Amino acid sequence: MSPFLALSGISKRYGGVRALENVDFACAPGSIHAVLGENGAGKSTLIKIVSGVVQPDTGAMTLDGAPVRFPTPAAANRAGVVCIFQELSLMPDLTVADNISISDPPRRLGLIDARAQRRRAEALLARLGCEDVNPQIRVRDLPLSRRQMVEIAKALGKDPRLLILDEATSALTAADVEQVYRMLARLKEEGTAILYISHRMHEIEALADTLSVFRNGRHVETFAKGQRTNRQIVEAMIGRDIAAQYPPKPERPRPPPSLEVTDLGWAGRLKDLTFSVGPGEILGLGGLDGQGQKEVLLALFGVLKGVTGTVSVEGRPHRPGSPADARRAALALIPEDRKTEGLMLPMSVGDNLVAASFDRIAAGPFIDADRQRRAIDEAIRRLQIKVGDPGDPVSTLSGGNQQKVVIAKWLMTQPRLILLNDPTRGIDVGTKQEIYRLLRELADAGAAILFYSTDYDELIGCCDRVAVMYDGRIVRELQGDAITERAIVASALNIEQEADPAHG
Amino acid sequence: MNALTVQIRPDTKPILIAAGFILVILGVGTIYTLATQGAATLLSPAYLIQQLQTGAFLGLVAAGMMLVILIGHIDLSVAWTLTAAAMTATAVGGPWAIPAGLGVGLAVGLLNGIGVAYLRVPSMIFTLGVNAVLRGLMVAQTGGFAPQTAATDAMRFIGAERVSGVPVALVVWVAVSLAIGVILTRTAFGRSLYAIGNREAAAYLSGIPTRRVTCLAFVLCSLFAALAGVMLAGYSTKAFQGMGDAYVLPAIAAVVIGGTHILGGRGRYMGTVVGVILIVLLNSVLSIMQMPEAGRQVIYGGVIIVMLLVYGRGERATS
Repeated sequence: MSPFLALSGISKRYGGVRALENVDFACAPGSIHAVLGENGAGKSTLIKIVSGVVQPDTGAMTLDGAPVRFPTPAAANRAGVVCIFQELSLMPDLTVADNISISDPPRRLGLIDARAQRRRAEALLARLGCEDVNPQIRVRDLPLSRRQMVEIAKALGKDPRLLILDEATSALTAADVEQVYRMLARLKEEGTAILYISHRMHEIEALADTLSVFRNGRHVETFAKGQRTNRQIVEAMIGRDIAAQYPPKPERPRPPPSLEVTDLGWAGRLKDLTFSVGPGEILGLGGLDGQGQKEVLLALFGVLKGVTGTVSVEGRPHRPGSPADARRAALALIPEDRKTEGLMLPMSVGDNLVAASFDRIAAGPFIDADRQRRAIDEAIRRLQIKVGDPGDPVSTLSGGNQQKVVIAKWLMTQPRLILLNDPTRGIDVGTKQEIYRLLRELADAGAAILFYSTDYDELIGCCDRVAVMYDGRIVRELQGDAITERAIVASALNIEQEADPAHG
Repeated sequence: MNALTVQIRPDTKPILIAAGFILVILGVGTIYTLATQGAATLLSPAYLIQQLQTGAFLGLVAAGMMLVILIGHIDLSVAWTLTAAAMTATAVGGPWAIPAGLGVGLAVGLLNGIGVAYLRVPSMIFTLGVNAVLRGLMVAQTGGFAPQTAATDAMRFIGAERVSGVPVALVVWVAVSLAIGVILTRTAFGRSLYAIGNREAAAYLSGIPTRRVTCLAFVLCSLFAALAGVMLAGYSTKAFQGMGDAYVLPAIAAVVIGGTHILGGRGRYMGTVVGVILIVLLNSVLSIMQMPEAGRQVIYGGVIIVMLLVYGRGERATS
């Protein structure tokens, strides 16, 4: 089949950094083409060039065999190239319907036709199985996973001939992912070309017809699904052998708890949670997205007001009024969204690293430049953060390295209880594995870890125990070999009674 | 790292441009005075020191304003904070004149800080309201006339006098500037200002006491405005209605011309100093050139817009 879009000899540099080097690439109509590579491999640049966000330095593109240039994203959209970016592009204070039709709202007499706009939103959301999203609601009031679905609906509204999904499923719940799969299969039958970027191997296995691997700005190889093993693919991506994905879990009795939570409640969203974690333990929080897992972490970290129940940390009552209090109690929170909650993006790597540790690098009221430099060097070395100069803005780092900066910032405070809110979302395989190893090392060094993840694989691979939440409660706690995907999914849907009568 | 290719940090560039523009102003003014009077008056130490003396009042207001702008807020109440402090100081008189004036600044700053940081009222609205309230209070106090009381000797000393040729006001400005330079670069409070200005949520979740820092920034801003008011009253020997009106927008302009991002998070204090000097010299040279008031306003506003356009272009090219 002749390609829909073909690139030849495309190169792109940013300053001294080579983002893409002489790349040839093509994607065919009616097929799902997965693009794989670590962060910084050039995937994002490839997509930005294809969708008109940036211009290549050299090389040419053809669309249906005819040469084409996209000076702006709007030009790419007009040619049928539509991209769903990793960073959400929705306006939080506009309604779902407004957002979906934002670039080309239906008009009547020159004014926006609100009713047509709403019907259009309803129709597009229905195609995604999202009838539960009210088009009149503000995007701000939707959970992240619903927002992502709105983002996809918005892209569908542009009638794509080439649809690009850049980590578009990373925030979705398992049920939504199913809907997106069905939608993609339908689009594929209709002859749409689909470029699919994801760090989740099982998604790629389930979806892709063709796979391309990128590494260091080069197109390493393209092959049909099934021609390579997962291990070969990962090796092609990182260019070296990989160790076992998850570090081994230690076999030992359960430690005495250092965090004890009894009857935790908050504003009807958290209901009578009771659990504990001990030093050296990784307790996973599982379940569907939005069942209160984030609220648990925020409540423990002093962000939420009006929390009920009792919490004690290392025997002392713990009632933080702010994250500053929580930090003093040796807690750390790796927040959900590194770009808005974890980092001050325009500030330097160094400034971000010390942002939670001013007291540790100051002598009296003044910051000690020497101590600061040592602390920053130590953090960069410990997490192997790839950074040219600590004075560079943190926004210049790849996603995985940015997340390492967030984690390093908190490790500098020497926390004894670490709360993680989906820390591996949208980061590459290599960095994920480093984070898994790091979590286990921290636990072995005596930290208690509370780990929320939307990726069940991770919970199974990393956690000593997994508490599955449903509707603000812990419905089940799994331990050891009982942590299986089936058990987590069954508990997450709160169907354990029927599925497994032994656990009545 | 590399000694040959000296990298200019992006937040230094506006300072260099502004400094270059100061030289342009002096150059153009000197050509004018050479042509009309046959003397390079503008380059004489006496003239320059006089300008720095005038600039000290604006410099103090701008220094405080910068702290507030760095956290992404603004303080529009400095005009009447300055005036209220000056009027209070002259009314109280005696040894307590200066502490009373600064006390007014402290109180207004706390009010602003609590309103913005704890009650979460947008600073533009809250400080605008506080400004109006202060004006009302002062008009009620003085009956709408200039107060009859005069500045004390101590106020005159810090506002108007010179010690071995150096104006005391300039010394105060330099001292405050050094302190702020150290605070911004070397203290946790200074770092926290930048962090909050860049991303308040991330700063809060990093355990930075964002509300306390915000409150303190407003307190310092009002304190410096009050200090400027007390000194200005000393300089002009008394307080008068509207003495602060000429300081709000020039202070904001000086901060922004110096390269501080109006939405917060970026900027060096040195830039604010350069911005103040630029504005003071621009005003002075335009009046020396006997430009009519209307023309001065147009040029003054035009310069601010053009400088910001120049900065904006540079930024787009580098990002």
